[in-house]
Amino acid sequence: MIALLGLVLGVALGLMLQPDVPLWLQPYLPIAIVAALDAMLGGVRARLEGVFDEKVFVVSFLSNTVIAALIVFLGDQLGVGSQLSTGVVVVLGIRIFSNAAAIRRKLFRA
Amino acid sequence: MSLLADLLGEQALDPGYAAAAARRGNRPPPRRGGMLLVLVLTGVLIAVAAEQVRRSEPVAQQQRSRLIEEVRDRTAATDELQRRLDRLRAETERLRAAALARSDAGRRVREELRRAGEAAAAVPVAGEGLVVTLDDARPPAGEEELGPGAAGLVYDQDLQLLVNGLWAAGAVAVGINGLRLTSTTAIRAAGEAILVDYRPLTPPYRVTALGDRDRLHAAFTGSAAARRLHVIEKRFAIRFEVRRADEVRLPGAGSLRLRHAGEPHGKEVPE
Repeated sequence: MIALLGLVLGVALGLMLQPDVPLWLQPYLPIAIVAALDAMLGGVRARLEGVFDEKVFVVSFLSNTVIAALIVFLGDQLGVGSQLSTGVVVVLGIRIFSNAAAIRRKLFRA
Repeated sequence: MSLLADLLGEQALDPGYAAAAARRGNRPPPRRGGMLLVLVLTGVLIAVAAEQVRRSEPVAQQQRSRLIEEVRDRTAATDELQRRLDRLRAETERLRAAALARSDAGRRVREELRRAGEAAAAVPVAGEGLVVTLDDARPPAGEEELGPGAAGLVYDQDLQLLVNGLWAAGAVAVGINGLRLTSTTAIRAAGEAILVDYRPLTPPYRVTALGDRDRLHAAFTGSAAARRLHVIEKRFAIRFEVRRADEVRLPGAGSLRLRHAGEPHGKEVPE
């Protein structure tokens, strides 16, 4: 409940403040979101399995977003930015789907 | 391959939680504001990204309209240059006519020039002639138009056949849909469109031939080209119609290029 509230609050804050994203940061925004989604679903799954740990959640969120952005940044510098972003999205996408499947099994037993 | 192995083994993909739980034992996990903070951050991230996408849309739109604007400007500039070229050509023509009118030799040259200009399709012409119309077959009931590759379409070969037939019948000038043909004008196809002088045409194709209309008509209707076109008309329902006209006009050809020039032999070159 508190988690959902936090998410809604965040969206409202983002829409209200409308911070200007600097141009150099813009390519990393979508990747960071995918990484954040991965961390979030991992947290939900852990919660359902009864092993949720706040420290692990916070650290995994931060490291996920930072590393994903870093990989893309590195790729941009090397000239293979789009390929590396595809790689990151594929890997994180697999994790998201498998976590979502686990959540689904826990919730609906299906 | 460990990622795939994990996936296939249905294991937890983030072993961190399990490790932390094992470390903790049975004590309840400590609660601080960290989770809320992370979720707020995620929300902000999503909102900002969505906002960014929405905001960058008008930028693309602006660039597009700027490009369209530029295209229009350039087209207008080209049109203006074309008008200026036409004016200058008319001026040159007038000055040349005035210069040549001064002497007998000049008048002869002018007459020669006029005939050459007509033959080269450099000057507009008017007079009686034939108008031959070719058109695609009518689309079957219930359809808007014939699809690509349909049997009833007029091809560039049909137009070539018709134009060659008209030249052979003694036409002095030929034009298609208001475009004057020179002896080197190409009639060809690009995709579905027929190009004349590299400009695309839309059906119906109205081919105008200048000349003595009765003689033209007689010579053309008996020709092999007309017979071929009649066969196509019967077999593919292409519309083909020949009409005599009292007064037809054809403009000068758009793209004339000087290909050959030489000094007259044994004569003084006029100053």
